[in-house]
Formats: sequence, structure tokens, C-alpha cells
Amino acid sequence: MSSIKVIDEKCIGCKKCVSACPFAAIQIENKKAVILDNCTLCGSCVESCRFNAIELTVDEVAHEDISTYHGVWVFAETFDGQLRNVGLELLGQAQQLAADLHTKVTAVLIGHPVKHLAQELIAYGADDVFVADDTSLKDFNDQSYTDIMASLVEKQKPEIILLGATMYGRSFAPRVAARLRTGLTADCTGLSIDLETKLLEQTRPAFGGNLMATIICPYYRPQMATVRPGVFATLPQDETRTGQIHELPVKKNPVDVETIARVLHEEQGVSIADAEVIVAAGRGINSPKNVQLVKELAELMGAAVGASRAVVDLGWLPYSQQIGQTGKTVGPKLYIAVGVSGAIQHLAGMSSAQTIVAINSDSDAPIFKVAHYALVGDCSELLPELIAQLKAVQ
Amino acid sequence: MKIIVCVKQVPATNEVKMDPVTNTIIREGVESILNPFDTYAIEEAIRIKEKQGAQITALSMGIPSVVTLLQEAVSLGVDDAILLSDRAFAGADTMATAYTLQLGVESIGDYDLILCGKMATDGDTAQVGPMLAEVLGIPQITDVGEILEIGTDFILCRRMTDDGYETVKSKLPAVITVTKEINIPRLPSIAGMKRGKAAKVPVMTSKDFQLEAERIGLSGSPTQVVRTFIPSHDIASEVLTGSPTEQAEALIEKLREQKLLNW
Amino acid sequence: MSTEIQPYQVEFDEYLRDESRSVGHADSISFPKNEDELIEIVRKLSKTEIPVTVQGARTGLAAAAVPYGGHLINIGRMTRILGARYDEQDNRFFLTAEPGVLLSQLRKAVSSGEFEIAEPDDLTQAALCRYKAGEWFFSPDPTEASAALAGMVACNASGARSFCYGPVRPYVEALRLVLVDGRTLHIRRGEQKAKGRDFCLNLDDGSYIIGKLPDYAMPKVKNASGYYIEEDMDLIDLFIGGEGTLGIITQIELRLLPMPKAVWGITTFFPDEKSALRFVRGLRGEKEATGVEFSVKPAAIEFFNHKALDLLRIQKQKIAAFAHIQELKATYYNAVYTEFHADSEEKVWEMVEQMNQMLEALGVSPEDTWVANNPRDMEKLLVFRHAVPESVNMLIDQRRQKDPAITKLGTDMAVPDQYLDKIMDMYNGEIQTNGLDYVAFGHIGDNHLHVNILPRDMEDYRKGKALYLQWANAVSAMGGTVSAEHGVGKLKAPFLAVMMTDAGIEQMRALKAVFDPQGHLNPGNMFTMKKEGDA
Repeated sequence: MSSIKVIDEKCIGCKKCVSACPFAAIQIENKKAVILDNCTLCGSCVESCRFNAIELTVDEVAHEDISTYHGVWVFAETFDGQLRNVGLELLGQAQQLAADLHTKVTAVLIGHPVKHLAQELIAYGADDVFVADDTSLKDFNDQSYTDIMASLVEKQKPEIILLGATMYGRSFAPRVAARLRTGLTADCTGLSIDLETKLLEQTRPAFGGNLMATIICPYYRPQMATVRPGVFATLPQDETRTGQIHELPVKKNPVDVETIARVLHEEQGVSIADAEVIVAAGRGINSPKNVQLVKELAELMGAAVGASRAVVDLGWLPYSQQIGQTGKTVGPKLYIAVGVSGAIQHLAGMSSAQTIVAINSDSDAPIFKVAHYALVGDCSELLPELIAQLKAVQ
Repeated sequence: MKIIVCVKQVPATNEVKMDPVTNTIIREGVESILNPFDTYAIEEAIRIKEKQGAQITALSMGIPSVVTLLQEAVSLGVDDAILLSDRAFAGADTMATAYTLQLGVESIGDYDLILCGKMATDGDTAQVGPMLAEVLGIPQITDVGEILEIGTDFILCRRMTDDGYETVKSKLPAVITVTKEINIPRLPSIAGMKRGKAAKVPVMTSKDFQLEAERIGLSGSPTQVVRTFIPSHDIASEVLTGSPTEQAEALIEKLREQKLLNW
Repeated sequence: MSTEIQPYQVEFDEYLRDESRSVGHADSISFPKNEDELIEIVRKLSKTEIPVTVQGARTGLAAAAVPYGGHLINIGRMTRILGARYDEQDNRFFLTAEPGVLLSQLRKAVSSGEFEIAEPDDLTQAALCRYKAGEWFFSPDPTEASAALAGMVACNASGARSFCYGPVRPYVEALRLVLVDGRTLHIRRGEQKAKGRDFCLNLDDGSYIIGKLPDYAMPKVKNASGYYIEEDMDLIDLFIGGEGTLGIITQIELRLLPMPKAVWGITTFFPDEKSALRFVRGLRGEKEATGVEFSVKPAAIEFFNHKALDLLRIQKQKIAAFAHIQELKATYYNAVYTEFHADSEEKVWEMVEQMNQMLEALGVSPEDTWVANNPRDMEKLLVFRHAVPESVNMLIDQRRQKDPAITKLGTDMAVPDQYLDKIMDMYNGEIQTNGLDYVAFGHIGDNHLHVNILPRDMEDYRKGKALYLQWANAVSAMGGTVSAEHGVGKLKAPFLAVMMTDAGIEQMRALKAVFDPQGHLNPGNMFTMKKEGDA
């Protein structure tokens, strides 16, 4: 069993470890550090201690040989016979990782009809594409998709698999990882190769984005990660690229889950995922009446309407418009935050916007820390002004 | 019908304060609560029980004090609860957690439905539910916003997707993870609180199971945290002052300079 | 710049109304930023015949902040917390604030310990060293957290927790005021008292005001109508609840209370009104109501009648903003909210068990309760309680679209304990006789309900107004008050006249005349204006 202990003879009660612990799991009692029940064995304290007074023992577990795993894979999610952007974004990032590892990029395409998309994946950076195209795969299905992916991985042994953290991706990736008994890191915002160890360093927000954590998967393969749409940029399409397309035979296994019906959102105006301009409403708009002003401004600017979690929780805007840690991640050219306080969870979903405008009556609102243009004031006065002036210059 | 609800203890707030002098984290005195998403799973289980009858067991892996939170679950209407607690479980990532929960689920046995919150607010991974389904070898439906029907051997749900929603039918037993749209969690009643206070929550340790030791806790976790750091967001921002009219004028001027207006 | 008296323009329209939704008019307006500027403006005006109305955040429900002509001083820019003081001997903490500080702002500062005091003096620095966030709170809790402190002092505001802690009055330790002639006054509790019914009030410049207090007896209920008068009274109490008619508040020193360690809220649902009323009386310690001894003083006892729950059920279906409130079982007829404060969770639980014995005696199921024992669940109960008045406002706004003359008719009356059943019978019976739509909710622990008559048309509106006046008579006859917390303002001046009788009003006028002989300060508040009616 892995364990952690304080060596009392060495501990001087300096409290360095107390403030290093992200979980408040260390207390000083009688001038000695005491590790509490809620310790997660993360080891932050071990590094912080200047007196080597904390000892973390991690059991050595026998691991399989991982040297036979090669290549960077991307799961290319499709919807209604089209590629989702996130897969293309991941191909771009995969190329960088593959370059550092001197290996190739492979895309996996599952669904129906998807065969025709393989060439596009090559143009966006895939060297090989595995295609499983069969009418039985028309609807996304955790079980059948997992069966295909897992058996392919077992045969081909890739060292890295990247998947989009879409609703489907977040449902499917954990099943694949669990079947393969390997590690999976959710919602990565940074991926790189440690050139010394050749390990994939996966950086993701923790504690709602208040802290960033870098995670590795040293002893198991493949190293799996999901990434939110909009985190990485798509590389330009290169029609001249060549690659190999491998069609896979599809076994029709009986499945336990079936999709009976599918209803698409009636998109009101522009969808926030693809919008170049977003006007987002936060709790600081104070009244559901002001949602109308936000919508009016958005319409004038050809923008999509976004929402903070507070506004969605209040029922003023639907969940489909929610931006942030528990909503969507967006990266528009222009983001206008109206009455959004800028909780770290919200910032996690929009801070990659190119230009950020913040309107808030609270001059201390954290949103101003990320805003390029800050307007302190009452949105019920400012929005009508903006709307009127925009109408005038239009 | 027998329902297992998986719950987790999380900090009440994710706020991380930095000590400006030492540049270290201050995270003292943060209260622990039931993961908010799990309260929707508990509520849904209770509603199923009220509608068609069910025996509900809450299951958690955590430190000994989680017993209090499980009693809270009982006060809401859960029938009984089990805590998996052992230093050997500590440091588990989502894979090791799913395996440990699997042990708990199998010790309860004979279940029809497992309900989980769609994610925990401390980790935000949404991975344990699907991983648990996989290690148990049963189907799953994630992000469920409404349970439409439960038959003897099937469940019909509405799940949220990126593009809208789907009606999905699964065989039972299955793992269902729920979103906040599914219900409005109730508050406990006085009668419920009395039941909660009286509830005995058995604590099971690694010794209570025949388990694969290399799959639990820190050493059984494929992923490892190598470092943590505080993200920096600060940028130089330009404050546009004046009356609302002047502020609006200044903003439009700036957006025009940046070619961010369509005209 | 901020002492400028600006002529009135259309852009200032919002300053002509408050939450009562009545609209006034003004000839000029000013926005002083500090006490000196305010005094300068008052001195300029004192050389003219121009009447002046002072307003804060305009959250009042009686139109006290609505100007009826003349000059309008808006104190909305005087929003600094100026200092702090800690009384070690009695473990008391005080804050000094400008009048425009909002309750929400004060709460945020008190809970975080971040007061942002620009130039702290030695006393303040010493006090802040002793301050620990989370250990103190300001007890008055009117529903509208965006109220300005001066407004709360001027109408002696209360809230749900006033049942236990009382209204704003006891928490005002000192005031600075400017009189209508520009003279100033700094008054601290305990320093200047009346002798019998005679008083001599020393002003800052060494001059003084001599006068006689009215000889009426105040109703022995929670009260916010008319001047607070007692023999040998502390003269600071004249200005608290004085609705700005005697002087303009420029600084307030408030007392905070130590925060109780455990705060629980419980909403109990009843199958009928009789058992709910018996429960309320039981909570007040009237053993004969339930047969159970109840020795605890709850922090709050609030009531929501069957019409209030019905309205919530409807609005929850219709309005997205209310979709998140807790679900109401069909068998829930009405609700009583109680709040308990104590030093430990265990002590609160003992209180809850005692309360539960009463419920059992009344045959009410302990399953039909919502218990909140942490800030997150307390917030849910708060949202539920506030949803009632918000639902009423939304409904009225809908009806106003048909007929803009319609407003809600909200009462604010309280009676002595022994009349609780009688007043409830009166409200329910006469509403029914008149065929009106209504909801009733509020501070039933103090026999203080807000009956909101919801007129469907002008006929209803007229009937409702007549009923309102009739109730003012009845409540006065029971020794009650026509306004227990909102204040009289302009809208309830006719009811104050009923309650005080002509003699009482004349004595009040005489008192005002000592401070403001011309009647230039906040004209229309408390006293019906002779020239002008409803604006």
C-alpha cells in the first residue's frame, strides 16, 4: 500500500507543507506536521519540505512493456455525416506531438456514412486513417464504438490517443480507457511531450480552473486525453498531403443501448461554438428584462448570445448557451461580457477569445482582469446607449 | 427495484486563495459537501422510489467523515448507505476509483440501476460513471436530463447532447449519469433528519474485499499529477470612462479600430 | 461640481419614482458626494423658499423618496464606509457609514471583512485588527437588499429576523444630521435625552432646539408609523423612523451583532389555516395553543397563506425564473417559516425537536417540512420566500398592461398578539365578501402580515382601497399600527391620520415645526399635504 508519513525527528513545524497542500490535509499539532485523512497522496508537501521530513512511499507495481507502443491517434468524431471541428483541431496538435516523438499521426473514423471523410482527415494532418463505416454505426453508441476502438488499439498499440471532450467523447473515452486499463485525462488545455522522458504532459484545470495540474501516465499505454472543442487551433488544410486509408471490417455485435429519437436544438441566431462574436450575459444584468437588451445587442452585431452559469441557473437563458467549465468553451474574435463577474469557471471557457470587452457595475469584478476593454457601469444604462449608437452608425 | 447512487464528498467551494507573500495556496477551513450533481442523482432515485417503489443504497469512497454526508443522503430518502474507506484507497484517480466502486457495487449485488451525478465539481472529469459501467460490464447513458420510463428490464431516457437531445433506451442494469435539468433536489424534512441521524453507515475497507491490490489507491492509478500551478490571467486592460454615452462611443471607436465591427 | 443644483431634465426620470411605483415631479436635482457638499446644498436652499426631498436607493414602498415638487437631493453617491470601532468591554463592534451605503454593500463588507476604509483613524485601525470575517452580522434584513442605510434608518426598517432582534432602531448608535436651515447635529445614543416630554437638543454650533414631545402613547406592537415618542426618551430615536421630516441623515454609526454559530431555517406546511395559527402562537410561547411548552425564541416566524402558495404554483409553471424553486405538494395549504439561531448545531437541533413536538400535537407530519442547515440550503429557502412578493409584482405588471392605473394594494399593519385570530378572520372574510383576489404573507410572529390585494380591474381597485381604509380603522381600534415596517411615506399618510386622530397629527406637526417651521423638508411624508394630493 502506498503511504505517506511525517518523520517527526526531521520536522520542525515550519508549516511550509501546510500551505503547499492543495487539499488542506496537513495540520501542525505540537509543532509537528500531521497528515489528515483527506490526503490524496499528491506529493505536493514532499517537494515543499526543505528538511526531507515527509516520505511518500509508492508501491512498485509490475507493469507491462510499454516500449512497443507507437504513434499518436486522434478520434475523429462525426455528426450527421460531417466531421466535428474538434477532431481537426486535435489533428493539428497531434502533428506537433508526433514530430517530437518522431512518429506518425493516425485518425480513427467510426460511423455511417463516414468513408468519404477520410481524405479530409489526411488533408488536416493524418498520415493514416482507420475507417469503420457500417449502417449499424449510424448512431453514436458507447458499446459498439468502444468495441471497435479498443480492439483496434490492442492490435495497433498507439502510444497516445486524443479525443474531443464533446458529450459523446466524454461518454465514450472513459469506457475505452477502462477497457484498456489505462489512464485518461479529461479536458486538457495543454498537451506536450517531455523531451527527456518522452511522456505526454497533459495540463488541465483543477478546482474549477483555480489551479492548473499537469498529469502524466507513465506506466500504462496508450496515454489518453480528452480536449474541449476550441482549445487548439485547426491547422490549414493541405490538399496535397497523402496518407493511407484502412477500412476495418465491422462485426455486428448486439448492443444494449439504442437511440430511439434525436431532436436538434433549434438554433436561435448564431451557435456559440462557431460564433466570431459573442455577447454574454451574467448575473450582474440584474433582471431577466435586461436579457432582451443583450439579445438586441447580439443581433445588431451578428453575434451569438452566451450566458454565465448563474444566468442559466436562474432560467434566464438555456443551458445550450452556457459558457465555462460546465458549459461550452469558446474562442471568438470578440467577446463582450455583460454583467459577468468572471468566476474562474467562466474564464476557463472564454479566456482564449481574442478581444474581450467587460461591462460590469462592480469595478472589482474579476472579469476586468482578463478584459482588453473595461467599462464600469450599469448595463441597463450602457446597453441602450450602445444599441442606439450602433444603430446610428450602421 | 434496487438502485445504487454513487456519491462523492467535495469542497463547498473551488476558490483557491493565494498567499501573496509565500505564493502558496491557502485552503483552510473549506467546508465539505455532497457533490452538487450527486444530489440530483439522489433526488431522482427517491422520485423513482416514490413512483414505483425501490430500495436505494448510497455508495461512496472517501475519508471516514463522509459517513455524515451519507447520513445526509439517508435524511433525504435513501434507505441505507455504505462507505468504502481505507488509507489504501487514497490517491485514487478515476480508474482506481471506478474499480473500488465496482467492489462496493458487487458487494451490494443484485442491482437494477446505478445513478451518478454527471461529474464531481472538484475534478470535473465526468469519467467515473462511464468507467464504472465498463468495469461492471453494463451499459450506460450519460448526461440524462429526464428519465421517461423504467420497465422491468429497460430504461428510457432523454440525454443531452451537443446538438440537442436524444431519446435513448438501455437494458437494465445500467449506469445513468444525470444533469441538473433532471429535477429539483428536495431539502430534508425533520422526519428525514431523524432517520439520517439514526442511520448506521457500515464502513468497508480493503480487507473486506478480495481485490487486486495493484488496481487501488495511488499505486493503482494510471495517471499521476506531476505539478500544480496557478493560472495567470492578468492582462493590461484599457478602462473606458465617462458617462454611459461617452463609454459607448469610446467602445465603438475601439472596436472599429480593431476591425471588429461588421460595417 | 457635485454641489451643483441642476435643473430637472427628462434623463432624471428614474429619480421621480420608487418601488411603490408612484411617480412625482421635481424642479431641480443634486448628487452630493460627501457630507460637506450636502450641507452646502442645504445651506443654499435654506435661503430660498424651495422645498427639498431627500432620497436614497428608492426601494421604499410608501413613496417617501418620491418628490412632490421642489429640489431633489439624491444621496446615492455617498457610499463610503468611513470607520470602525470595537468596544472590548461589551464585545460590541460598530461601523460608521455614509447614508447612501447599500445594505447589500454593507453585508458584503461585514461578511468578508473588507471595508475599504480610505483613511482609517487610530480607533478604526485598532478595531479592524480585532475583526474576523464571519464573526459578525447586521441583523435587520428587509427583503430588498439594495436599500440604502439612511432609508432604512429613516423608516426604521425591519425584516424577518426582527422578530428576535428588533428593527433597525436599537442598532443605530449615532447619527450625524443636517437640519433644514443648514445647522448640523451629531447625536450619540445615551448622550441627549428628553426630560419627561420636554427636550432641549444641542447642535454642533452651540445653539439648541427646545421643544415639547407629543403626548400620545405609541401602539404596543412592531411599529413604523409616526414619531417614536416616550417620556425621557433618547433624542436619537426621534430621527430613527422620522422619515426625513426632522433632519437629513449624513452619517450613521451602526452596531453589529456577534454571528450565531448555527443558523437553521425550517419551512413547515400545514393542511389548514387554523393549525398554522396555533403553531405560530405556540412558537411565541403560548402553551395553551398547542399544549406543548416551547421555551425558545425563534429568530423569525413568517407565514405564507394558501393564496400565496397557489400563486407560486402558477408562476413556477409560467415563469422560467421561478422554475427552480422547490416543488410544492398538492396537499400543502400554507406555510410557516421559522428560523433558529444558536451557539451550536446541537442546540438548534434541540429547538427543532421541541418544535416538532408542537407539530405532532397539531397532527402535522414532520415529513411536511423543509430543513435548511447550511448557507446553500438557507439560500434556497430565501429564494422561495422572496419569490412570493416577486410573483405578486410580476402579476401586477401584467395587469397594469391592461389598465395602467392599477397598482397592488399592499398592507403593512400589525396588531397586538391577542388579536391574531381576529385579524386573520377579518382579512379573509372581508376579501371574500368583496370578491377580491389577494395573497397574504409576512411576519406573522408580530401579527404583521402583508395582505396584497391584487385588483383585476378598476372596480377591484376601488373596492380594495376602500377596504384598506376600513382595515386601518379596525387595526387602530385594536391598538395596532397602520405601518409596522415600510413607514408611512406619502401613500399611507391618510391611514396615519386615522390611527393618530387629529389631535395626534397636530402634535406631530407641532414637533416638526420646531425643526422645520416652513415645512420644507421632505414635504408630504407622514402628513397629508394640504395643496397636493396623490401625484
